[in-house]
Amino acid sequence: MIELGRQAILIAWLIAAYTIVMALAAAWTRRRDFTASAENGVLAVWGAVLVAVAVLLHALVTRDFRIEYVAAYSSSTLPIYYTIAALWGGQKGSLLFWALILTSISSIVVLQNKQRNRELMPWVIVALMSVSLFFISLLFFITPPFETLAVPAREGRDLNPLLQNYWMTIHPPSLYLGFVGMSVPFAFAFAALATGKLDSSWIRTTRRWTLFAWFFLSLGNLFGALWAYEVLGWGGYWAWDPVENAAFMPWLTGTAFLHSVMIQEKKNMLKVWNMVLIILTFALTIFGTFLTRSGVISSVHSFTQSGLGPFFLYFLALVLVVSLGLLFLRLPMLRSENELDSLVSRESTFLFNNLILVGIAFAVFWGTMFPVISEAVRGVKITVGPPFFNKVNAPLGLILLFLMGVGPVIAWRRATWAHLKRTFAGPVITGLVAGALCFIGGIRNYWAIVSFSLIFFVLATIFAEFYRGVRARQAMVGDSVFRALSQLIAKNRRRYGGYIIHVGIVMIFVAITGTSIFRIEKQVTLNQGESFEIGGYELRYNGLEERDTLHIAYLMANMSVFVDGRQVDTLRPEKRFYKKPEQPTTEVAIRSTLGSDLYLVLGSYDAETRMATILAYLNPLIGFLYWGGITLALGTFVVILPTAATAPAASYVPARGDATETRS
Amino acid sequence: MFGLAANHLAAAEPSFQDLEESLTCQCGCGLTVHSCNHLQCPSAIPLRQEIREHIALGEGKDTILAHFAGKYGEKILSAPTMTGFNVTAWVTPFIVVGIGAIFVSLTLLRWRRRTPEPIATPADAAKPAVNAELERKLERELDDLDI
Repeated sequence: MIELGRQAILIAWLIAAYTIVMALAAAWTRRRDFTASAENGVLAVWGAVLVAVAVLLHALVTRDFRIEYVAAYSSSTLPIYYTIAALWGGQKGSLLFWALILTSISSIVVLQNKQRNRELMPWVIVALMSVSLFFISLLFFITPPFETLAVPAREGRDLNPLLQNYWMTIHPPSLYLGFVGMSVPFAFAFAALATGKLDSSWIRTTRRWTLFAWFFLSLGNLFGALWAYEVLGWGGYWAWDPVENAAFMPWLTGTAFLHSVMIQEKKNMLKVWNMVLIILTFALTIFGTFLTRSGVISSVHSFTQSGLGPFFLYFLALVLVVSLGLLFLRLPMLRSENELDSLVSRESTFLFNNLILVGIAFAVFWGTMFPVISEAVRGVKITVGPPFFNKVNAPLGLILLFLMGVGPVIAWRRATWAHLKRTFAGPVITGLVAGALCFIGGIRNYWAIVSFSLIFFVLATIFAEFYRGVRARQAMVGDSVFRALSQLIAKNRRRYGGYIIHVGIVMIFVAITGTSIFRIEKQVTLNQGESFEIGGYELRYNGLEERDTLHIAYLMANMSVFVDGRQVDTLRPEKRFYKKPEQPTTEVAIRSTLGSDLYLVLGSYDAETRMATILAYLNPLIGFLYWGGITLALGTFVVILPTAATAPAASYVPARGDATETRS
Repeated sequence: MFGLAANHLAAAEPSFQDLEESLTCQCGCGLTVHSCNHLQCPSAIPLRQEIREHIALGEGKDTILAHFAGKYGEKILSAPTMTGFNVTAWVTPFIVVGIGAIFVSLTLLRWRRRTPEPIATPADAAKPAVNAELERKLERELDDLDI
């Protein structure tokens, strides 16, 4: 079996190289048989990588400790779901898993485009297979996953305990799908540049792919935040760690791209900018991988750190030089008929939205890299931590929130005064009233007041849109409110799905504002039977409990939770002592309600006196992080799911001069 | 993500938590001294003790932070100082966004100038009032149909 895995990687490498050559030949000669051969090559690479993944999974599940990777990242007592997750728990496995996702997506792209985009496909294959070849090369030459130990291990060293958490079973795959998914719009952009077929067809073809990638990148970021919240036990969920930033930056530029392509579709403008954005987004996915694996900046998330950094840096440089070089060569062909009727219009609002999103991405990049810059310039190591990112990004984030209220509802071309008054009078009043109520309610933190005002402003604009749409449908067709609403969304999924996504983002802003500003925390050392209060809860420490299993020894603080003298819950914050490797971890205990999370951490304890130090946090409004994520997912489904054949035609207006044959 | 907490912390009276959040734990956790919850952490626990001692001496926040930076190196501070080269860390993002805003504004103005104004014809002037009402209705409906 081990040999089969090795051979599969070799075969994948050879076929990927062959496929690139054939695709280049197909692009050069325009011979269909060459294109067909390259397309078959993509499927064959996928098959070979799939075999390699299957062999590694088999080795993990059967505990084949002859293989160094299996011995390093699993053990005979590791539960089966974490054993499967060990596939992406270490460097080699995660690269192989990455290659599987990339080649799977490449194969789907090939199958989707058997009859479409024929001119672009050879170059699309060149781009996708070049990225695949890079990853397969790493697996073949640098970090072979089927390396065997000189002496087979009797037992594995086990998966890092911090990774033995359910969020970690879904966080990396989501993030990888997001990162890798961005390869598709990049590949089509590259093909459009290479062929000179620079209309908007590449954008329309990849619209769903971009959404797919953005969706998983969003989920990947959220799952990572929830993992940090539940596992790292410091009461927060986002610490501006370099690896968190690495996943956040392509999300920001990808979000900017999703918005600015609408302008190109509608108005045939911003052609160069859209190219820049997708190149930047793809480059940031590679940069993120570089940050995670290079160790150039220390991170709590670098579970796969190695000497691979320089290879990613070289590859990143190659990607940037080739794609930006190609873009430069094609500049004369990318001149748009940029026209603008008014500065007060959706076009201009979207441009500012792009500016802020890219601005935040830059601020995050700058802060992440500043320690390296400082060391290079001054020779002094410094830290750029949460206080920096919070202070720099808070004002930019609030501007973005404001634009999120304005952008989707302001008129295209020219917003008249009457339109502005009709659209924004209600939401502005709602926002001001919300701010005033915050003040009357005793909130004196002006960041919070501005944030809540803007949150209600945005929600009011979205609500007004739904209200107007439902009223119009009711007047036209005479439907009930529910039917009118469902029909409104079904007939115009892109628009109303987008609004639902915005509601999800607003909910995430609610959680961020609540937890950042109104968090209460307390640290208390208690004897058995002693109590303390936090945010309306009374907590009584009943003593320590112990439990031992083959895999983990548990030590729990039994805490009774009272509200108004009535017991409502029992929470058990834990210390876990993993036996292989011997490592203690903190497991928090959380009581979630609609308004807040009561979050308990067992800080330290005295085994003899049974005294325990408890860190208690009350995180207001954090539930909105979960619900915001679910709403965002719902909105994306509304936008992305295939519509009935007539629906896109009804909702899509081709831009001037665009071909429409490639709509997906 | 856009945590705002740091902004509302008072600067005059250094609180224990404020100072904890201004210092980075050196145990490798990557968190601030405040956030590190490692059992028996060899870095955060003595640092907390040291913070308490300096607060007890009645020192101001800047003095205490300068002491820590001098003793452990600048890397112990959780954010760059506002002096010397470090100022570029704070101002560059805003300069970049500012330049971007000027560029976007100038670009929009250029496009606006390039766009021909609709030419008013005598027929426009002679339009009956009902047309204005219809136009407003059309504009509203176009907004509602907008994708």
